[in-house]
Parts: sequence; C-alpha cells; structure tokens
Amino acid sequence: MTSHFPVIVVGAGHAGCEAALAAARLGVETLLLTMNLSTVALMPCNPSIGGPGKGHLVREIGAMGGEMAACIDHTCVQLKWLNTSKGPAVRSRRAQADKRAYRQRMTATLFDTPRLTVRQGQVTRVRAAGGRVTGVELETGISFSCDRLVIATGTYLNGRIIIGPRSWPGGPHNQRAALGLAESLGELGVPWRRLQTATPPRVRRGSVGFAATRELPGDPEAGGFLWEHRARRLAGQESCWLTFTGERTIETVRRHLPFSPLVLANITNVGPKHCPSIDRKVLNFPGQFRHQIFIEPEGRGSAEMYLQGLTTSMPPASQLEVVRSVPGLEEAEIVRYGYAIEYDALAPGAMRKTMESRVVAGLFTAGQVNGTSGYEEAAAQGLVAGINAVRSLRGEPPWVPSRTESYLGVLVDDLSTWDHPEPYRMTPAQAEFRLHLREDSAEARLAAAGRALGLVPEARHEAIADWLGRIAGEIRRLDGLRVSPSGRLLERLSVAGSGGLKKQVAVGEILQRPAIGYRDLPGLLTEEGEGGPFSLGLTAPDEIAYLETEIRYRGYAAREAERRAETKRLEEVRLPLVLPPERARALSEATRELLSSSRFEDLGQAVRKHCLSRAELAILWAVIGDGQTAAGDGEE
Amino acid sequence: MGTVRDPADGEVVDQVVVTTFPAPHSFTGEDVAEISAHGNPVVLGRVLGVLLRGGARAAEAGEFARRAFLNGKLDLLGVEAMAQVLAAATPGQARVAANQLEGLPTRRLSAIRARLLDHHVRLEATLNFPEDAIEEIDERRLARDLAGVLGDLERFAAAARHGGLVAGGLPVVLLGRPNTGKSSLLNALLGRERAIVTEIPGTTRDTLEETLTVGDLPVKLIDTAGLRAAADRVEALGMARTRAALDGAFLALPVYDGAEPLGADDREVARVVREAGVALVSVVNKADLPRRAAVEELGPGPVVRVSALTGEGVPDLLAAIRAEAGRRGLERLEELVLLGAQQSEALERARQAVRRALDGLGSIYHDMLSVELEEAIRQLGLVTGEDVDPHTLDRIFERFCIGK
Repeated sequence: MTSHFPVIVVGAGHAGCEAALAAARLGVETLLLTMNLSTVALMPCNPSIGGPGKGHLVREIGAMGGEMAACIDHTCVQLKWLNTSKGPAVRSRRAQADKRAYRQRMTATLFDTPRLTVRQGQVTRVRAAGGRVTGVELETGISFSCDRLVIATGTYLNGRIIIGPRSWPGGPHNQRAALGLAESLGELGVPWRRLQTATPPRVRRGSVGFAATRELPGDPEAGGFLWEHRARRLAGQESCWLTFTGERTIETVRRHLPFSPLVLANITNVGPKHCPSIDRKVLNFPGQFRHQIFIEPEGRGSAEMYLQGLTTSMPPASQLEVVRSVPGLEEAEIVRYGYAIEYDALAPGAMRKTMESRVVAGLFTAGQVNGTSGYEEAAAQGLVAGINAVRSLRGEPPWVPSRTESYLGVLVDDLSTWDHPEPYRMTPAQAEFRLHLREDSAEARLAAAGRALGLVPEARHEAIADWLGRIAGEIRRLDGLRVSPSGRLLERLSVAGSGGLKKQVAVGEILQRPAIGYRDLPGLLTEEGEGGPFSLGLTAPDEIAYLETEIRYRGYAAREAERRAETKRLEEVRLPLVLPPERARALSEATRELLSSSRFEDLGQAVRKHCLSRAELAILWAVIGDGQTAAGDGEE
Repeated sequence: MGTVRDPADGEVVDQVVVTTFPAPHSFTGEDVAEISAHGNPVVLGRVLGVLLRGGARAAEAGEFARRAFLNGKLDLLGVEAMAQVLAAATPGQARVAANQLEGLPTRRLSAIRARLLDHHVRLEATLNFPEDAIEEIDERRLARDLAGVLGDLERFAAAARHGGLVAGGLPVVLLGRPNTGKSSLLNALLGRERAIVTEIPGTTRDTLEETLTVGDLPVKLIDTAGLRAAADRVEALGMARTRAALDGAFLALPVYDGAEPLGADDREVARVVREAGVALVSVVNKADLPRRAAVEELGPGPVVRVSALTGEGVPDLLAAIRAEAGRRGLERLEELVLLGAQQSEALERARQAVRRALDGLGSIYHDMLSVELEEAIRQLGLVTGEDVDPHTLDRIFERFCIGK
C-alpha cells in the first residue's frame, strides 16, 4: 500500500513542525511523520525559548507567519526582557516554557491545519531514483511516495545515550534511536559526522531549598514574540531561582572527573561550545569556582526543576554528589539523571542556503540534523525548508533570506558553510548588521516577504503595514518640522551636550540626542510653536519606543548601510561563475579555481570564509566589471 | 647553467643561468625560477619569445608584490613601502621605506588594534551572554584606554603625514613681491638655471617646482608668481596659485629685496604667510648690495641674508630648511610611516570611530559602542592587512566561561 504526498516531513520536533505547517499553509498536501505522537514539539533540554539572537529568530518566525512565536506566547509561564540596558540591537525577550502545554498546543495546531496529515511511524529508508527522492519506507512496512522530502530528525539518527561508562542506543528522554535512516541516506551519497550534546539532571521541586537561592521573577510587561502580543500584559508568571557553585562543587566535580565521559573518552569530543558541561567548565577554567546555576520549572506547577548550568553525563552517584554540593540543592532528589547523546549530523557543506541537499535532489534537511543546537534555530530552518520544498515543487525560485535583512538569512548562510567541529548556535555576534536586524524591526524587515510568499494573511499584513506606516509618517512629520530652539528647549539641548545649537533644527534631529525622548517634546516645544502648540502624533508605548529607536539609530544605520550594500552585492554574485578566459587570466589560479568550484554558493561566502582576500576581490571586481554579474542588482 | 633552444627549430638561442627559489623561500612565496640571459636586447627578446610561445605571460605592474602579499610574505604597509623603495630618489626616502618593509609600523598599529580587540571581546561577551556572570564593562577604564588609543592613532597619523611629506618631497614655497629675485634664488639653490630671470617684474606667472636634496631629505622647491595688488588677470591667477601652494607647504620662504625699503607689497606678502599659518624663514636677497630693508619689523621668525647673484648665504638658507625639518621630527626617519591614499582614509575612519566611541561613552548604548570599536578594528585591519581575526564568538569562548 503506497499513497502519495507532494511533501513529506520526517520528524515532528521544532524544525519538522514549522516545515510541515509552512508547506500545508502554502497549499500543498503534506504528510508529517513522527516516531512518537506523544512527543511532538518536545523540549528535551532547557525549558526556555528566546534570548539574544535566538529570540530575534523567534520574532522573525512570527513575522513570517511561522508557528513558534504564537505557540510559546500562548504557553509560556514567564517572559523577560534581556539586555535592556545594553541597547535595542541586542535587547531580546526570553520565555520560560510550559513544556507539556507547548507540546499539546503544537500537536493541536498540526491536527487542525488543513492539508496536513499527521501520522506516527518510524522511517527506516528513503527511496530515490535517478538522484531524486521518491518516497519513504516505514518500519511497519507502510510506504509513502513523495516529490519533496524534508528530514528533520533532530538528534535521533543513530542516537547513543551516554552516562558515565555506560551507553546504549536511544533518543532524548528515553525515546528510541532512529536506526536505518542515516545509512539509507548515506547510500544516496549524503555525508555524515558525529556530534554530541548533553542535558543536566532534573530534581524534584519539593527537594529544593529555595531559601538559599535568589528568586528571579518574570516581567509582566515583556509582551510576547508575536507582533500581536507586543504590548500584552502577562500576569501570574512563575519564577526561576539562582544559586552559585562554590569551591565545594568544583572540588566534587574534580574528584569525579575520572568517571566523566569527557575523560573516559567514550564519546565524541564535539559538543556545543556555548553550553559546556560542568565537567568541561572545570577542565577549561580550573581557577573559577563560582558558576551560576539557574533552577527553572519545566512547566506551570511542574514537580520537575531543570538545573541550568549543571549539565553532566557522569555516572548517577557522581551526579548526585555534585548536585548536592550546590547551596540550595543539599537535599535535592534527582528524578531524571543528566546524560549525553551522540548522534549523526550532516557533514559540512552537504546543504544549501535553501536547505536543499547538495547531493540528492528533492531532499531538504532542517534542524539539529544540520549540526545546529537550539529549538529556535531548528524552527527557523524548518520554516525555510518548508517554504522552499513547496517553491521547488512549483518550479518557483527559492526563497533565500539575505544576511543583510534577517537573522534567518544569517542562519542559512552560516549553516551552508559551517565547518566548525561543534554545533552552531545563533547569537548577535553572528550578525554583522545587528543594528538593522533589531528585534523590534522584524515586521518591517520580513512581513512583506511573508505576505508575498503566502504565509501572512492579508488582514494581518494590513494591520502591520498600518502600524509601520503610522510610525514612518510621524518620523517624516518630525523631520519636516523645523524649530528655532529657545527657552527650555535651548537649555535641554545644551545640557544634552553635543553643542549643535543651530538656529534652525528639525524636531527629528532633536530626538537623536539620547537624553531627550519623544514624550518630552510637547513640554520642550512650548515657545517654538508656529501654528499652534506641538502635539504628539503617536500615543501607543510600543509605537513610541520603535520611533525613538529608529531615529536614534539613524546615524549608525547610515554607516552600516554602505557595508550592507557591499555584502548584498557580494551575495548576488552566484557561484560557480563562468568568466571568459581572457578576463579570467588576470586572476590568480586559486581565485579562478574558487570561482569555478561549487564550494560556495556566492562570493559573499568566499569572502567571509577568507578564501578571497580584499586585494583579490578588488581585482575580481575589476574583472567582472561592467555589469557582468549573474544576478540582478537593486531590490533592497 | 643551461641552453635555451627554440622548440620550433631546435636552434640554440642563448646560454643562460637558471636560479630556482622553491616555495615558500622566494619573494612571492611561490615557486620562482629566474633565468639570467646575456644582456643583448636581441637575445633577450628571443628568449622571452620562446617563453611566451610556451605559455608564459608577462607580469602585470605590481604583480609580484601582489602575489607576495597574497601569500603572506609582505603585509599591506610592506606593499606600500615596496612601491616607495622602487621610487625612492633620496637616501632618506629609501631608509623610511626600508624601515617599513621590516614591518615596524605594522607592529605599532597591530598593537593599537589588539587593545581595541580586547575591549571589543569584553563588550561582546556581555552583549551576547547577558545571563552569564561576566564582569560588567568598567566605563571609566574604557574611557581612559580609548583616550590612549586615540592619542596613539593621532600620533600614527602624524607620522604618516610626515612620511607623506618625505615621500613627496617637503614642499618649500618661495614667494615675494615681483622682482625680489625669487627665481634667481631658486636657481642659486639648485645650482643651475631653471627659472627664466629677466629684469621685468612678474616674469614668473605659473608656479615652478624643482626638487633638491637637503641632508638626506628631498625638498620640493616651489617658485611662485610675485604677489601684489593684481595688475592683470594672469597675475591674479598666479596669486591664487601662490595661496594654494602655501596651503600644503612645509615651509614658506618669503623673499625680500634687501636693497629697497619695505613697501606695501612686502607687507602684503608677510600677511599672506601669517594667515596661511605656515612655518617661515624670511629671506633678505641682494646681500651684495647695501642693505636698506628692515625685515625685522614684519614679525617674528628666522631671517637669512643671501645673495642669489654671488651665492653668499645660500648654505645658511639650506641649514635653516634642515633645522626646520629637524625641529618637526622629520629627520627621525625611523618614526615615519608611508601610507597609500586608501590606507590613510582607513586610518582616518578608524580614528573617527574611536573618537565617536569615546564621545559617546556614558550616553550611548553598549551595542553601538561595540559597533564603533568593530569599525575601528576593521579599518585598522585595512591598513595593516590583518582583516582575518578569529570569530568574535571563538574569542569570547576562549576568554570567558560561558554556558548554561
């Protein structure tokens, strides 16, 4: 028995859910296969979504019409602003999730989505003909045929659980490992590598001595990731708690290090740099005794608490001793031990920015299987994979977000060239144009793309466009309004420094001074009024905040714009590039080779990976010269 | 030793010596072979013809230096110095360039850049990992360090300006009212006839440029049209050129006729120099005639009496030029830097970014501060050629214990 779906998605984690939803919402009959329908959108590690970089991605997913933003907004137990004092470019929301509620809501969304079929079943084989996928076979003997296949299998492929010296095949949270699928893809030429990651022990809430810790409450005013929730008030939030390791914990870890898989070397050494185990921290920073441990609920009223900062895969007895050495956890009962998991991930260079395989036609991969870590990174890839699976099915050009316009663009660009040995994580440091890619500008940057692709409904797009238009209109009005500073305004301007006491000044320019806010304007412009007193065009706090940031960042944005344009120009020169031989002669042999190989998808990647020096690039521009570049220009 | 034969007919073209430099021990860092043939141009041409027909091609201008740079054998400042070594006309120019080829200025700038990188990685750690226990930025310390960096960059820029002066020749401007003997003085300084000298005032209407070597330094003498209330349009143009020449001058030599009492035109000359703010040495010409001018009344500054006719006092004038170069530190050749136009611009952009960061400290957010430091680091990398740093994240993980 074989039935056909144009798009099949394998795996219902954060990547698979977004991919399947995007494909179905774009109008294609889609099948989502999961090994276990009870663990859809599972969060097997930390109970949180967001933070700098990651939160930016969630905002962008929301702006594009993806699901993660809505799902976490509706099911979170705490929301917070991070980095508020560090500036709008790195400011981000972070939510504590109710893991069960998140799973349930996402599962319901999947089942409620038209054209989306959800089935439980383990895929053990991919069928292909002539280098193109044609379908999948399940271990039950059922098979499905398809035109496009999205593999979003997370850390399950040939998963191996490691605790101390013991290890066995398995997936996260005592699930099964997915066997057979990696080998089947391998036979088609898909290259693999081994990665590992780990999770800390969970303790029983009632066994934690909270008195010895510091309570970290949520922020009711933090809104939400979805544009619609930007000014939402969220009452009744759960708290997290903070404690610190001391000398005793470090000494305990050191004593137990011989039983750590890191020392036993029964695990691949390639784990995420950004969430090292406590074993790794002690090994790498032996002089540091004080490490933060966050105690976080796994859900509303959850009996289980997550110990962020105490990741370890030591044997159970060692874990217990280490946990109990931490103030507040002296009597902690571990209900789930920490463990490491080793799994197959795609080798570097196996996928394109579109998420399509470089090896097998019609095959897309998304999420941790691509060598990333994090729910947010996975969901973002799922969205791009789902979109492009449908577009390639329809013979439409792929949607490749630019790194000059979104964290999504940074993510897919970085991933397609990611050759580091450890998993990839998104942070603002990955985004060179972060003043432009602010969290608050996600809709301005992406809503139109979401609308054009067909993921953002008309009504929503109109509401967003109105909102953006209102703010842009007010900025134009302020820029057009020129006043001669006198009285209180003159005083404030001189207090705010920077001298510029010109005779005439635009009101917009006044707001570029950090010390003066939009709401101060009516009080300051009392004596300057020509044609009546100054009145504010905006009243909503979110609109005012956006306006102030836009104006304050203008000078920086202008300087950044030059480099953004250069990056975009580089991105638009697609590789391989064929040059007439007489032109190519001026280039070094290495450059000629680089241009004709398909190692990189565009010139920007070659420059970023330091394979093309500035000097060579200057020569190359001269050689390409007179508009011979392949891709079109313009279109910001 | 070997024989070059024409593969077409097997005929012997020349006996040659072939020297090979295996990579990376050549100038470019690549495998290099040098063929030394006999000097006869006809023979050389035939050897070249054989090579070209065999698939070789002629090097483009600067190609060897470019390859050396691409292969890491020469840094960017080295490439600039290389060009200057080839163009050097005086021992001083050659020494500045050679010094730079050694990489000393690059090391100076790299050290400044390393300090910015250090602050940048601290900032980035706090920005990217707000929930990790990373020490917050001490703005007072940052302000102090940035002020230090700014001072160092300004000194480096000054050294580059001086380097530019030395590379192009120190512009020394001769000016004065018509017929004080500026052109005769130019000829006397050069020791040969260059300018047309006549009895008719205002003969020199364009500016004339000539180079001579003073000590080890090149001096670019600029002779200008006489200054006075314009008699005709041509002269007015010449006066505009004089003012333009003073604009970029290292030194002005106002020339006065010692045999005449000072007049309104002379006072105008003194005023023009004063307004241009250029260092000056007043020259009283015609020392062979009875002295009637009281130059001292025109204001401060050294005065040298010369006779362009007899050569009397000319060595004193050369000594005065040299003294000014010494006073301005131009003879400390080891401290001078040569920059190309793009490098100068990048250095200036870096300086401005540090300036903005320093001015903004306390009132701008750290995300913007970090962007300014990044800009300065990138621009300095354009000057030194070090634009390949480990990724910010890698630098953070190396220094700070990050992690949930």
